[in-house]
This record gives sequence, structure tokens and C-alpha cells, in this order.
Amino acid sequence: MPEDKNKESDETTEKKRYSRRNFLVKSGTVAAVQGLVVLTPAIASATANPAAAPDKKEQVEYPASQGYLVYDSKKCAGCTTCMVSCSLAHYGVQSLSLSRIQMMQDSWGKFPYDVKMAPCRQCITPPCVENCPVGAAYVDTKNGNVRRIDSEKCIGCQTCLKMCPQQPHRTVWNHTIGKSSKCDLCLDTPYWDEKGGPGGKQACVEACPMKAIKFVAEAPNQQETEGYDVNLRNDHWLNLGLVDSSETIPPVIAERMKNAPKRRE
Amino acid sequence: MAGGYTGKILRVNLTTKTISKIDTAQYEAFGGGHGIGSAIFFDLVGDQLPFGGFDPRNVITIMTSPFSGTFMPSSGRSEVQGLGPMLYPIEWFGHSSFGGRFTSQLKYAGWDGVVVDGASSDPVWINIVDDKVTIESAKGIWGMDTWEAQQEISRRVIPNLRYGEWAELAENRFSTQVPAVVCCGPAGETKSRLGCLVHGAGSQAALCGFGGVFGSKNLKAISAIGTGGVPIADPKAFLEARLWFRQFLWDVDDPYQADKYEGRGLYSLISGQPSGGNVLNTQLPLIPARATACASCPRGCRMRLATGESNEAVCAGTMAVNVRSTQSMGGPLAPGAGGFGGGDSKLSRQGNDLMMKLGLGHWQFMPLQNYLVSLYKRGLLGKGKKIDCDLPMEEAGSMGYYDTLMRKIAARVGIGNDLSEACARFAEKYGMLQEDLNNGNLPLTYWGTMEHYDTRVEVEWGFGSLFGERDLMQHMMANYPLHWMAETGSPYLTAEEAAKMYTDAMVPYQGDPMMVDYSETGNYSDSKVKQVAWVKHYEKFWSGAGGFCGWRWPMCITNNTPDHHGPTPNAEPKFWKAVTGKDLSFAEGMATGHKIYTLDRSIWVLQGRHRDMEKFPDYVYNQKSRGNIMPMYQNGKWSYETGAGRTLDRAEVEEFKTKFYKFEGYNPDNGYPTRDTLEKAGLKKVADLLQSRNKLG
Repeated sequence: MPEDKNKESDETTEKKRYSRRNFLVKSGTVAAVQGLVVLTPAIASATANPAAAPDKKEQVEYPASQGYLVYDSKKCAGCTTCMVSCSLAHYGVQSLSLSRIQMMQDSWGKFPYDVKMAPCRQCITPPCVENCPVGAAYVDTKNGNVRRIDSEKCIGCQTCLKMCPQQPHRTVWNHTIGKSSKCDLCLDTPYWDEKGGPGGKQACVEACPMKAIKFVAEAPNQQETEGYDVNLRNDHWLNLGLVDSSETIPPVIAERMKNAPKRRE
Repeated sequence: MAGGYTGKILRVNLTTKTISKIDTAQYEAFGGGHGIGSAIFFDLVGDQLPFGGFDPRNVITIMTSPFSGTFMPSSGRSEVQGLGPMLYPIEWFGHSSFGGRFTSQLKYAGWDGVVVDGASSDPVWINIVDDKVTIESAKGIWGMDTWEAQQEISRRVIPNLRYGEWAELAENRFSTQVPAVVCCGPAGETKSRLGCLVHGAGSQAALCGFGGVFGSKNLKAISAIGTGGVPIADPKAFLEARLWFRQFLWDVDDPYQADKYEGRGLYSLISGQPSGGNVLNTQLPLIPARATACASCPRGCRMRLATGESNEAVCAGTMAVNVRSTQSMGGPLAPGAGGFGGGDSKLSRQGNDLMMKLGLGHWQFMPLQNYLVSLYKRGLLGKGKKIDCDLPMEEAGSMGYYDTLMRKIAARVGIGNDLSEACARFAEKYGMLQEDLNNGNLPLTYWGTMEHYDTRVEVEWGFGSLFGERDLMQHMMANYPLHWMAETGSPYLTAEEAAKMYTDAMVPYQGDPMMVDYSETGNYSDSKVKQVAWVKHYEKFWSGAGGFCGWRWPMCITNNTPDHHGPTPNAEPKFWKAVTGKDLSFAEGMATGHKIYTLDRSIWVLQGRHRDMEKFPDYVYNQKSRGNIMPMYQNGKWSYETGAGRTLDRAEVEEFKTKFYKFEGYNPDNGYPTRDTLEKAGLKKVADLLQSRNKLG
């Protein structure tokens, strides 16, 4: 990793601090997380073994991930292609439960509340990493600081599932091996030859027919609506008649109206 | 079985309340979906035919395909088969399909399909959670509309269900999804022949009356949810194939030649633009909405609206209830009913939603409402009339009218009891069927289902339906790419180019452009025989067994690429091999399609089918077509023409039938499959059964 890539401008650093503060205050995760840790037998067992449990450090600063998935939940059509692309690239099967990106929908819901997209946020301060008792969840400093889970180290205690503050939690249980998993931005895809991670490609991004998922290098604002769930639609989308306000007139229609012959008085 | 299949099919006998498994491998030669459904039906009850659709012996199969649960483009349909009480004059062994998420969830649960036979003594529903299958009491659910029932069942499957969170379905097996439920509505519970199956807010298995069959079995619903996955024989090749396929899609961010094809006009049908299947949100001010897709579909032809109206409905599911129908029939309209696409789209949305809730099949409700208005205008229906009823016909076109009409049908109350028998049997009861079939007042062109595209011109649709058991419902065969492309007024290919390019993809009959010559002589040609056979074989294998959507496949030509070549016939075998591991050529798939069609035809023969029954009503012979633009080769050159004023010729149609039967290996005297044809297709036991009934061709 070139050293200059790890340098951050003052502005960026400040933005991230601000974002992190917002994140912690908003989610109130830290106290809840630590409370849950001691209540979990599997974790208690793991932490009883000093060799297995990493030292807990207060105020750990993690280098920011150099890649994030943002998405447009108003553009998502709910086809689940992103989910089965993920499971295929990683495991060679197509499965919603194994997918590291989740999407939920309500047939009777009212747009835009009928769809919820849930990719991993590659958190600035990742609770999965902070709370993993065996260091299986880690920041991969050799690969763009992506937050990952090493399945070889994972003991299946499910702490990371419980600690993730998002709903649904973005750490995903792989029942076929009894271990946790999470989005690695396609760094390790045994069933896809494309280079993944920051600077590479992601299966969900490439396969989404609505182009509703996008890779970005900069950390999004940590607030859901302003940060990760963004507008990826352009005028072509509006011209399909898919507006998010009744006041919006698709450009193609506006043009026709402008050019239409005026009615005689 | 390397990939694509889970290896087992669920069988539930509702009479004995037994649950068992069928080994998928023994039916692998039929591909999946429709093929396996036909084969299982034949094996279980073929030798007991004929009997009726409401007989407990009727077997309903809901099959997945090897592609179900994968991202094979537009493979999200569940194939439903069984004896169809809506069909006329015999309740043929029929098929219908529905989109949504059911087929994928069934696969994730570990099942290649569900087979239901027998009838329960009390209302029940079937609960599938991975390997765990139970028959549950429908107490408290029976009587609910389809929307209420699905949501209540979801709550019973996952009592702590919370939208947007993981649920633990079994120990350490999680899902964020809600159960996929397919159910009948109140119409099905009363054994209405209009009764359909509904999944989600707007997906219907609309044809054949399978909702009524569910009702006859005291079966309210089947729910499926799974945490497993679909094995893929060659994951890398499959992912590469899916990304390769992107070039044929309507690019939502940068569509090819947007200036020519953009907007929600007719081209949305051809281009595969998202959301184009809901026609009830086209007028300003638009209602905020999203495009909504079935599992796996990169098109997303449906919508969910900010009002929650007409969610997930598509095509006829958004058109069955619209005031234009009553208007076009010269019917009365309530004040303020402004017509299709006008100010009362809201009425249409609400009307279609009520149709969904009650579980009334759109493709039968549409002609029924038109026919009622026709009867009323002719003074034959109303208070004190020949058909004495209290329907508020003077308010036809209003929501109050639709509400009254639909609820009477669903509950079989008053005139609703007769209407619930569906159009053909309703007209027959009042002694009007033959007259109205022949004069065109009741255009049920094939087997009790209404004319879709004008048989006098777009003849492959007519023959494809007549040689089947219901409306063809295969838009992408020739209808969208050839008819609707020309209908736009700005076709992207000339008639000559379209004929050549389209037929070049029609393996194994490729290279004969006259297959899509819709001129008066062309419609009875030997080439047309090949086109109709191609339609039936593709319908049965690539669409039927592969679970493909008729709004996507086949794709012989496209306006999404500069050279206009579509992915057919290369994509189908490419995806098939990647998923199943089998090196099946396109032509071999078509041969299996012929095999499945021959099996279906044999089942119809056991039910009483004979070539003499395969007849169009008189109106196609004595009433002139209004035209239906198609490519035609006339006077030595190709052009797009409407064929307006044309009628079919009875002798030519009979000769065409003879040629078709011979081409398919059936006896032209009666239309029965021959032993030679059956044995070459690996259907010897079918031949033996037909012979025992003196029905071998």
C-alpha cells in the first residue's frame, strides 16, 4: 500500500471524526455492546482464554476503509440479483441467507417504504471488529482497510452478529460452516476471477440490473439517509415515469409538452 | 445432478394427510417446470383419466426450474399444472404460471416442486420451512381475502416476524425474507371457475381456474421459505454469462438510442424497460413509484406505488378492470368514469386490487365484464330480462358496480353463481354460447379463453393456442418483436430485416424467413407450420421447463444493441450448461419441447381431444379482421401490413391442421400421437396407455 494513500487531508479527517461521533451518539452502541458481551456464554468462554481474546483498547482508531457500497433504495426493484451474485461469487451457490448484502421488501408496502437495502457499511468504527473476542473480524490493512472476517479464526460465537448496530445486522451467519461472514467488497471471491476490493469490482454492483448499488472510495456520511442511501437516478430513470414526487414531470414528457402545438382559443 | 436441482419434490396427499418425497432425478429428462409437472401428472393419474378438475384425484403441481432461485434473467416463474376447471368444453390438463418469489423460496427450502393430490376434509394450508413440512389448519384464514391470508400466514410461520430483521427459521438458520405464500381467495373457496391463485400483491396464476381447484381440495395456501441455496455446476461460467447478458438489457442509466425509444410508450414493451407492465400510472401527475421485479428479473416490469395501489400487478392484472372495456363495448358508464388512462385510473387500480383480493382470474374476468355489457345493451340481461339479475348495469364502470359484481361471483350469490362458471358455461346455460361465439359477441377463440391477438392475421398465436389448451400467452415469440415493433410506427428493422434476423435465431428451423410471413398465403404455408411448431416446442421446454418469463424469452432480436441480434439461441444453452452442467444444445432443448408437447397432447387425448375439436369459432371465418400489423411478403417484397379485412379460410385451416399433425408426428385423421413418435420421444408407456384406449394415432 503506497504510504501517501494513507494520508488524509485535515478536512477528510475532521469529516470522519464528525461522522464517527454522530455514529456513536446516534446508535448508542458502545455500552450496549459491552453489556451483551458478558452475557454470552460462548464469548465468556473465549474471553477466559487470554490467547484467544485480543486486548481491549479504549478509543481505538481504525484506519478508514478505502471502499464503501452506497445504494439507492428508491431505484432497487427487489430482484435479489445482488444477493445471489454475492453468494455465488463467494460460495459457488445462490442463496439469500448466505448473501452478505441483504434486501427486504414488502409486497403491500407503499413506495419508498416497501424496500430496505442492507449492505455492510464498512463502519468507521466497526463494532464487529471491536468486539470480536478472537480477532477474527479485522481491518485488512493490506487490502484497503476493508473490514473482514477471517473464517479460519472465527469460533462461531456470533458476537459480531449481536454487536452490529444495524437492522438487520450486516454480519451474516453462514450456517453451512457455523461461522460468521461479512462483506469484503469482493476481495476474496473463489468463484469470480475479477479483482475485488477497493479499486476492483464487486459482484453485486456489476450484476444489479437497476444500477442501484455503487462503489465509492470516500466514507459516506454515517447517517443512513444522507450517507449510504443516495440518489443514483438520472433523467433516464425519470423518463421511465418513475418519479419520487408527483410534482416531477419526466423530461421526455416536458419536452413533448413544450413542443406540442398550442390549442386554438 | 450437478446443479440447478435440489433433488427432491414434495408430495402432499390431502386425503390421507401424508407427506412424501419424489426423487427429481427420475424426471430429469423432462428438464424441470412444465416438463416434470406433466410427467408426474401422467404417472400419478394418467391411467385414471378422464375425470374433472374438482375431483379429489386431480393433481396440482407447482414446479420450479433448474434456474429458480438463481439470477438467470427472468426465470422467476412458478409453473402450475393440473386439470383446469375454467377451460371449455373439457377441463383440460392445463398450465398457468405466476411470478414473484415463490419459486425461489421453494428452491431455497430445498424442493424442486410441490405436488398436491387428494382433498382435505377441513380447510388447511401447507407450511414449508426448509425440510420441515406440515399441514396446518386454516381455521381463521379460510374466508380471508388473498392479501389478508398471506399476511396472516406469514405471521403464523414466523410469529416474531419483524420487517427488516433476521428471523431464525430453525436452529442457527436465518433469513431476512418473509415467507412466499400462494393462495386462493374467496372465489377459489367457492370453487369458482374464475378462481385463480395469487401470490404477493399482484401475481396471479390466472388461467385454468386453479384457485377453484385449491378450494375443492380445502387447500387455502402453500407457504414456502428457505435458508438453503441452489447448487450451480459452474459458478464462474454462470456469473460470467449473467454479466455477458447485460448487453441485451435496457440500460437504465444510458439506454441505447434513448432519443428514439425512451418513455412509457409502446417501445417499453419491446425494450424491456422497467415498470412498463403497469399501465395504471401513466398520466400526469404521476404517482411516485418504483419498478418492481420478480426474483431474478432484470426487467422489473411491475410497480409499487406510493398509494400502495396495484402493487406488483402487471399487464392484464392492471387492465382487467378498466372502464375502457365497458366503453369499447358501447356499454353504459357511470358519471365521472373517464376511461382507461384517464382520470379514473384510480378506479381501475382499485378495481384490479379487489380482483386480486377476491382471487378472480384477470384473463377470465376481462371478457366476462365485456360480455355482460354486451348482453345488457342487447336487452338480454337485467331485471325481468332473459337473464334476470339485479346487477346494477346502469352503473357499469363505477367502483360500486365492480364491487357488487365481483363479490357476487366470488360468493356465488344470485347471478354470481352462474357467472362463477366462467364465460363459456355461463353463456351455455342461457342457450347463447354458439350464437355469441359465432357472431363474435363472445370472442372465446380457443378453449373458453378470449382472443388475445387477432387469429386472422397473427395466426401463430391462434394456432399456438388452438393446438394447446388455453391462450398461448407468449408475447416474446413474435408478438412484441414483430407486431408491437411495427405498431409503434417506427420499427427499428424493416420487415425484410426483421424476418431474416428473427428466423435466423429459430433453431432448428433457422434460415427460412417465410416462417414469419403473415400474408394471407403465408399464414397457411409449410413455413408457418414450422413456426407454430417452434412456438410450441419453445413454450414447453425453454419457457415451460426453464421457468422463463414470456415477457423476456425468447429474444431473437432486440433494439437494445446496435446490431439488433438478440441472445437467442445462444443464451439458453449457455445458461443451462453453467447451471446444470449439461451440454444441452438449443436444438436438443427444442426436441425435449416436442417430447413434452407430445405428452401434454396425449393427456388431452385421454381426456377426449380429437382433431375435430380443434376448431375456431365461426366469427374468424365470417367477420373481417380490423387488422393486426405484422411483416408480410407480398408481390415479391416485404412490408409491414395490417391484414385488415381478412378472414380465415375454413378449408385452408383444416389443411394447415393436417400439415401440422404430420409435421409433429401425429395421425392427421384424429390428431393423436403415433406410437413411433411417442417411442422416439421416450414415451413408450404413454403409447401403451393410448393403445389400450384405442387412441393411438
